[in-house]
Amino acid sequence: MDVRTKRGLETAALLAVAAIFAYAAWVGLVWAPPDREMGDVQRIMYAHVPMVQMMLLAGTINFVCCVLYLFRASWKTDALAEASAEITLVFGAIGTTLGSIWGRPTWGVYWAWDPRLTTVAILLVAYAGYMALRRFVDDPERRAVWAAVTGIVIAVDVPIIYFSVKWWKSLHQVQSSPRTVDPQMVYALRWNILAFFLLLIVFLVVRYRIALAARVRETTVPEAAPRGREAVAS
Amino acid sequence: MSTLGTVLAAVGEGRIRGGWEYVRTAYGICWTGLSLYALSLWIRSRRSEERK
Repeated sequence: MDVRTKRGLETAALLAVAAIFAYAAWVGLVWAPPDREMGDVQRIMYAHVPMVQMMLLAGTINFVCCVLYLFRASWKTDALAEASAEITLVFGAIGTTLGSIWGRPTWGVYWAWDPRLTTVAILLVAYAGYMALRRFVDDPERRAVWAAVTGIVIAVDVPIIYFSVKWWKSLHQVQSSPRTVDPQMVYALRWNILAFFLLLIVFLVVRYRIALAARVRETTVPEAAPRGREAVAS
Repeated sequence: MSTLGTVLAAVGEGRIRGGWEYVRTAYGICWTGLSLYALSLWIRSRRSEERK
């Protein structure tokens, strides 16, 4: 496939994602009915829930890449680990902010040290540390190994976040089931999950390419400098 | 009035009225944040291609 065709396909894919995103936003903000108790404030759910789900998915991808790297070292898995960690941080930070805004009119506070919120906060701080670690270590191989071990340790928090609302019944509600939710709300939520999932894929692909290009630059042995060759010739 | 009746009277219908300012703020932060991240990826991607 030539470069022009590839660019054309990528542009078409991006436009399709943007169209799905726009439709999902319309469905969530306009078409879906307001909640019986929370009213229109509940519409924040159509962005908050998919964002946090994508955070957990990206965190899981990071974990898989970290394990794979330790079994079979590859710059591709290391690059995907770096990409997924950064995206976990971005989706997690925005998703938690949305949850905080939703909490104000429903709980009366922006933040509470509820088990779900606390475990998410721990995950975000841990991934910020993970990204800092990747910047501080110059040697690519050592950096990849240290990051893989750190990523595996951080991933312990991912299932704890998911099950926290079931283990410790606290302020944050448990996961809703389609059987107990209005079908229109389920439809709107599924479209938003699809939209954010496609966005996650786009972000992952672009970020992965950037990380892989950086690895290639770091590990490619530079050609001898012209001055050196002149020195040898003379 | 029983205790339950007092509580239910205080709660009323239990529906939050209004609240669109929270929805607008949340979606504004979400779309702005994602747009800024997309922009940062685009800039880094361009730089990465230039270095090749």
